[in-house]
Amino acid sequence: MIKLHNIHKYFSKHHVLKGVNLTVEKGEVIVILGPSGSGKSTLLRSINFLEHPSCGVIEINGMKIDSETASKKDILALRTSTAMVFQQYNLFKNLTAIQNVMIGLTSVKKIDKKKAREIAEKILGKVALNDRMDYYPSQLSGGQQQRVAIARALALNPEVLLFDEPTSALDPELVDEVLFTIKQLANDGNTMIIVTHELGFAREVADKIILMDDGLIVEEGSVEKIFSNPVEERTRQFLGKALERFIIEPNDIKLEQGAEKYYGAS
Amino acid sequence: MNKFIDFNFLFESIKMIIVYLPLTLELTFVSMLLGLIIGLFTALTRIYKISVLKQLSSFYISYIRGTPLLVQLYLVYYGVPKILYIFQTQYGLFENVSVNGISPEFIATMAFAINLGAYLSETIRAAIESVDRGQFEAASSIGMSQTQIMLKIVLPQAAVAALPNIGNTLVSTVKDTSLVFTITVIDIMAEAKIIGARGLNYFEVYIGVSLIYWATCTVIVKFLNLYERHLKKYERGIV
Repeated sequence: MIKLHNIHKYFSKHHVLKGVNLTVEKGEVIVILGPSGSGKSTLLRSINFLEHPSCGVIEINGMKIDSETASKKDILALRTSTAMVFQQYNLFKNLTAIQNVMIGLTSVKKIDKKKAREIAEKILGKVALNDRMDYYPSQLSGGQQQRVAIARALALNPEVLLFDEPTSALDPELVDEVLFTIKQLANDGNTMIIVTHELGFAREVADKIILMDDGLIVEEGSVEKIFSNPVEERTRQFLGKALERFIIEPNDIKLEQGAEKYYGAS
Repeated sequence: MNKFIDFNFLFESIKMIIVYLPLTLELTFVSMLLGLIIGLFTALTRIYKISVLKQLSSFYISYIRGTPLLVQLYLVYYGVPKILYIFQTQYGLFENVSVNGISPEFIATMAFAINLGAYLSETIRAAIESVDRGQFEAASSIGMSQTQIMLKIVLPQAAVAALPNIGNTLVSTVKDTSLVFTITVIDIMAEAKIIGARGLNYFEVYIGVSLIYWATCTVIVKFLNLYERHLKKYERGIV
């Protein structure tokens, strides 16, 4: 279980997070929605201290870390129990797909190379990239790169997976293969926090939706509640605008259709 | 005999001059290696903004880049014995080192290393800063330490970015070593001057020595290109 207590973040004078409280249960999939600049990404990045929160407490599985007193050891502990998937994939360019997945295991978890390789092969198999293990990121498509990045995150066996707009940099044809992978992970019972603009996908995958605006959580609730009966005016406004531009139909990614349909294209 | 070029003499002189090529190469590569170490160290003090060291590095780079190499050679050549003397008489250090025991080759290597360090520092700093911030964030997010990130992710990528510049510096250094004659080191340039002076056939010996420099640089550039291709194996070309 993850608990965020009163997270604040200042960028010099700019107050980006204004006291965010959030509880994520084990196995829960949380989707954070909100306009640009609302602090969604900053919140996500604060959870593993890529942005050091100005104040607040982060609790993961009973381990409590106060941002004002966090030591290097605390931050390392936090980082090994969380894993991040970035908008721009951020795969290590000088390493092959499998080396990207292995490096966290060998240099952070100190697992020996042979064992790490076994684990990495298994995980890359899970994202259907067994045949691309020795490719460098530059030789992979955007969708494949993002799947390697997801594998790299999974390899650490984290308490929670953090996704920062995982499909925003992909061209539309490749979005589905990444969404398929994420949905698979949700189905496997992984705890996940996803920042996305894919409203249709949010609707399908989320157990709980959170709407952020101006550094605060405006409203949170089930998919049903947020999409059909939002209480807050701001939520209605945001979804209304989005509705004008897109028709939010449930994303039709079906796990039972099997991986080939989604991975076949690339 | 009033030929424009005496090819026999040219050929003979090349044979005599080339004996000193290993010294030129040794000077180049040893000072390059030391220069890379100095350059990396000073670049890191500036990237990590380590106070005092950062300012010292900036001063060092500014001074070296703002003064001629020839002057630096003289400064080290005349400065080292003086400093050694002060250490020996005032502090009783290095007493078993004799001033006469310090070879001019060693002094030249030191001077070149100091000079190269300043130029390479800027090259290395720019290369490290050119590595995408996302690489650093991704590595931090999986819990890698600063040192691990530097060694396993940032430096390998920076090396690729820096290689063309480092190669340029290396080729320049091969040619710059022709200045060491001024501090009594006999390298290929010095030998050329000596042979030329014997019979006043300067034209032939300078053609000879120019061909040796040219050939050396060409071979080095060839190897650099091969090495660059090897390092860049993970990058897709522009075309």
